[in-house]
Amino acid sequence: MIKKIKVDDLAIFNGSCLFAIPKSTSNLLQPDFDKFMGYSKLFFDQNHNISDGYLVKLLEQRLAAFHQTDYCVTFCSGFWALAITMSALALKDKTEIVMPSLTYRRMPDIAAWTKLTPRFCEVESTTLAMSAATVRSCINDNTALILGVHPIVNCCDINGLLDLAKEKNIPLLFDSVESVYESTADGKVGSFGIAEAFSLHACKLLNGFGGGYITTNDASLAKQLVMMRGFGFIENANTEIVAGMSAELNEMHAAMALASLDDVEKQIERNRERYYTYKDLLSTVQGIQLVEFDERYCVGYKNIVAELLDDWPLSREDTISILNAENILVRSYYSPPLHSKSMLFPFVPAELPLTDSLAERFINFPCGHLVSNTDIADIVETLAFISINANIICERLHKNKVVQG
Amino acid sequence: MTNNFALFGAKPIFDNPLSLGQFYFPSLERYEAAFQGIFERQYYNNNGPLLNELENKLQEFLGVKHAICVSNATLGMMMVADAMELYGKVVIPAINFVSTAQLLSWLGLKPVFCDIDLNTFQMDINQIDELIDKDVSAIIAANLWGGACNEKLISEFAESKRVQLCFDSAHAFGCRVNNLPIGNFGVAEVFSFNAKNILSAAEGGCICTNDDNIAARLKSIRPSYGVANTVSIVRVANARMSEAQAAIALMNLDDFSENQKQNQCLYQIYETNISTIPGLNIVKPSGVSFSNKQYVICIVDEALFGLSRDLLIEILKAENISIPSDFYALPYPSQTYDQELSRQMNSLPNTKSFFSTYIELPIGALVSTESVERICDLLNRVHQSSAEIYKRLEK
Repeated sequence: MIKKIKVDDLAIFNGSCLFAIPKSTSNLLQPDFDKFMGYSKLFFDQNHNISDGYLVKLLEQRLAAFHQTDYCVTFCSGFWALAITMSALALKDKTEIVMPSLTYRRMPDIAAWTKLTPRFCEVESTTLAMSAATVRSCINDNTALILGVHPIVNCCDINGLLDLAKEKNIPLLFDSVESVYESTADGKVGSFGIAEAFSLHACKLLNGFGGGYITTNDASLAKQLVMMRGFGFIENANTEIVAGMSAELNEMHAAMALASLDDVEKQIERNRERYYTYKDLLSTVQGIQLVEFDERYCVGYKNIVAELLDDWPLSREDTISILNAENILVRSYYSPPLHSKSMLFPFVPAELPLTDSLAERFINFPCGHLVSNTDIADIVETLAFISINANIICERLHKNKVVQG
Repeated sequence: MTNNFALFGAKPIFDNPLSLGQFYFPSLERYEAAFQGIFERQYYNNNGPLLNELENKLQEFLGVKHAICVSNATLGMMMVADAMELYGKVVIPAINFVSTAQLLSWLGLKPVFCDIDLNTFQMDINQIDELIDKDVSAIIAANLWGGACNEKLISEFAESKRVQLCFDSAHAFGCRVNNLPIGNFGVAEVFSFNAKNILSAAEGGCICTNDDNIAARLKSIRPSYGVANTVSIVRVANARMSEAQAAIALMNLDDFSENQKQNQCLYQIYETNISTIPGLNIVKPSGVSFSNKQYVICIVDEALFGLSRDLLIEILKAENISIPSDFYALPYPSQTYDQELSRQMNSLPNTKSFFSTYIELPIGALVSTESVERICDLLNRVHQSSAEIYKRLEK
């Protein structure tokens, strides 16, 4: 590490960059290569050609067992897993989908492909998540579907949403992309609502190069999803019965996801170590507070999110710029929130003051396979350095901006 | 003699089902080396080095300005339709994979089916005129059977009617029209890199265009990591091709010439042998100066062959020859398009005729010259014994 002794040492002021290789918020798990090849050999050695889905079926069995559900259906991406399932579940002749504004930036695009209109709900300040109370005010006669989205750290109010969905008789689909390993008092994430959606993108807990999956205990939904992802064909019959799509996972991605799944327990141990390193070190820096995992139940410890408190001496924008220049690729937490973005498809305009305020305060920190505990120490030391030198940094940044402007 | 057929209890000529599709795939050694490289780079998705290499090589191979690779061809065509801002109705050939009609539904667009020309078995330019009205915004023409539709006439027609034109070239990778590679026509063309096609990424697709603005829109819709969004789009499609898919496509692109030669060799055996069997006629790739020869499509003339197409399919299936292809889906019962199709089917006599008379025969990596000879021998024996088979089935 190149230590920052004076403000000139910061990369934003043309000092040397802290990390030669960027440290990002993507998980980029690297499973064991031999395991990956072992799975790959199954379609070489056993006469399974690349398109007959042998490994896909194996992966689906393994994931269903992992989430303790009856069915798992894989897709080419989490994006299309969500879109196809939304399309399958939305109540007929209704057009609105309720979702939080403080979530994945592409979520409204997914809704747009399904011809559903997003209605954005507020979140709770304590959890950063939607709750029954924040969703209830968004339900109306035109609500087709509730998308229950877990935040990046911990889970949303699952039981509250389940009760509300039941009371209103509206289907509830969970977006559990960030909660693969999480458990609650009522069991593992995966079996709540009608279905739950997950991602196998390289940046997520399970690296399948790309991909996604749905878990469900609903046999008819599982069957429908299998047909929809494969052009609507009924298995072994050349009959097209539902509005289909092309969204199947390929065998190489399945091999990668299987190898990642084999490593998941060890990964959680490594994630836990990283999380505790952040927790211990960030506690020594004034004005920044880690969003802690609820460790009463199983958690994946994957994502590291911290809040910039009122006494943090720099704006979030400046903080992110300074860190990014060092190749510490921190990201603002779901900012801007979805309801404030411009969209060229129908959506319900919303005023969400709490979301607006929360969207200004949180930062995602580097995590995952390529981030060591030493890296974390260096990252936090840099934070402490810019905190101590905030006044002079601010002055120089503003001066530079004036000059550049 | 009929006792020699599996349909009547004999041992099938193939122990395992012979699948339809190309299925060219690199050896385990090459696969392992390619993936070792991916693991060393630790770059798995989001426009990685292999994807960039593949797109550059495809641009060079096809002589096209932009090759934009995607996770599958259906998503590729959805992206094209969004990038072209299609609206209302879109004319598509009635013979094509069902995905074209399906993707239009996802986009809120209405398919209008165009009949085929019985000489070329491609979209019939003469039929399109009556399908164009003020609500039609585009034609998605298709290049089928390793051949091509009449691009020149369709382009002139589209221009005269002021409708946009793009091509579904899912099955036409490597084919050339007057020596110009397919990929250079219309606003954009979409290739499929599904394992069943000659250039396989296991699954995947590629959009080609010479239009900078459309390319910029497509890259934003895909989206493209690290590429600044300079154009406005309605929505992203999350259709990136992974490094794993790009690795397979790169190796198969290296092998293209060899694989095309294997197709050519097998095709030649089919052509030579089937030409001697009355009532069976191979559909030759039309409209191209060079074909990838990835399909063997055969029309069954029941009167001359002695048996109907459907009976022949039953015989071939019993012999473990997987027929028909599930790729030409419009003839099958379709809940989604039933009403529309039954309304339009009366005006699609050639399509109707094709669907009741065609068979597809296996060609590709999993098919040996010996297999083709056995299939041709079987077809000949079926013809020779057709009267006897018919009688036995009647009983």
